[in-house]
Amino acid sequence: MHEFLLAVCKWLESTSAARVTRESLWVYPFVQLIHFTGLSLWVGTIAIVDLRFLGLAGRRQPAAQFAEQFIPWTWTGFCIGVLGGGLLFSSAASTFLVNPAFEIKFLLVLLGLACHIVVQRKAGKWGGATEIPIVAKLATFTELALWIGVIVAAVEIPNH
Amino acid sequence: MHDWLLSFCQWLEHASLIEAVDNSTWLYPAIEATHFFSLFMLVGTIAFVDLRVLGLAGRGQTVGEIAEQLFPWTWISLGLAVVTGFFMFGSEATAFFDSGYFRIKLLVIVAGVVVAGIIQRKARGWGQSPAIPAGAKVAALVSLLLWIGVILAATEVANHANV
Repeated sequence: MHEFLLAVCKWLESTSAARVTRESLWVYPFVQLIHFTGLSLWVGTIAIVDLRFLGLAGRRQPAAQFAEQFIPWTWTGFCIGVLGGGLLFSSAASTFLVNPAFEIKFLLVLLGLACHIVVQRKAGKWGGATEIPIVAKLATFTELALWIGVIVAAVEIPNH
Repeated sequence: MHDWLLSFCQWLEHASLIEAVDNSTWLYPAIEATHFFSLFMLVGTIAFVDLRVLGLAGRGQTVGEIAEQLFPWTWISLGLAVVTGFFMFGSEATAFFDSGYFRIKLLVIVAGVVVAGIIQRKARGWGQSPAIPAGAKVAALVSLLLWIGVILAATEVANHANV
């Protein structure tokens, strides 16, 4: 399995997109910009909805409606973030493959993504009730924790 | 002024609180992660209001209503970003002080904050007029560009850090 993944990583590194990202003085920061801009939309919109369900933000509107308005830009942010992240990963794929911080980050991303899909699908039901149910608070708290975890792991990547 | 700032930076690098943070295995990454998280919330909330002004998001509510809900978190995030940023700055104060990219980053942040403040003040009025004025859309576009600029400057600071 590891051999297979390593082969995929080596192939990714050899693509021209990866090479340009790695070698060009201005493309690399631009790719980082894409990654972080996408993440700002993704994490920012997710977090504000979580804060709403945790009772800390935007109480003017019912929670379900509040959450719904962010959905298109949340996923736009996700796609932009993945695009940037994919290029960054490709530029040095085989080193990231064996980096424990990156492995944890990627695992948390998958968990966080699954958690977000649950939250988004349930938001209508959870946010329509007169009082936000406990399960909703648990789920949104977990989502926040997972994505903060992703950031902590990401910050540690250069250290390994 | 320059000399005074430089000596302040030299003092700061060796201040016990800054050194304690820098030497801690867990505190510095925690501060760094908080800085990134608050950055995402800061830019995310500002960007969503800007997108609403541009008519591209959240059209179920007026600009004023959205701004009212999001801006408190914009300012909380800014506060968090500044505090955590200060600790990160402090640990390598003289190096950051010398960095042209860092100075640009600070300048663009100030500009972005000023524009955000203007948008916040004007948002309710814009939301109450039948159509959002062209000037508002210009402001929103400028705001988006400025904060993208902040992110770019920040990545360049990190890329050129001789840490």
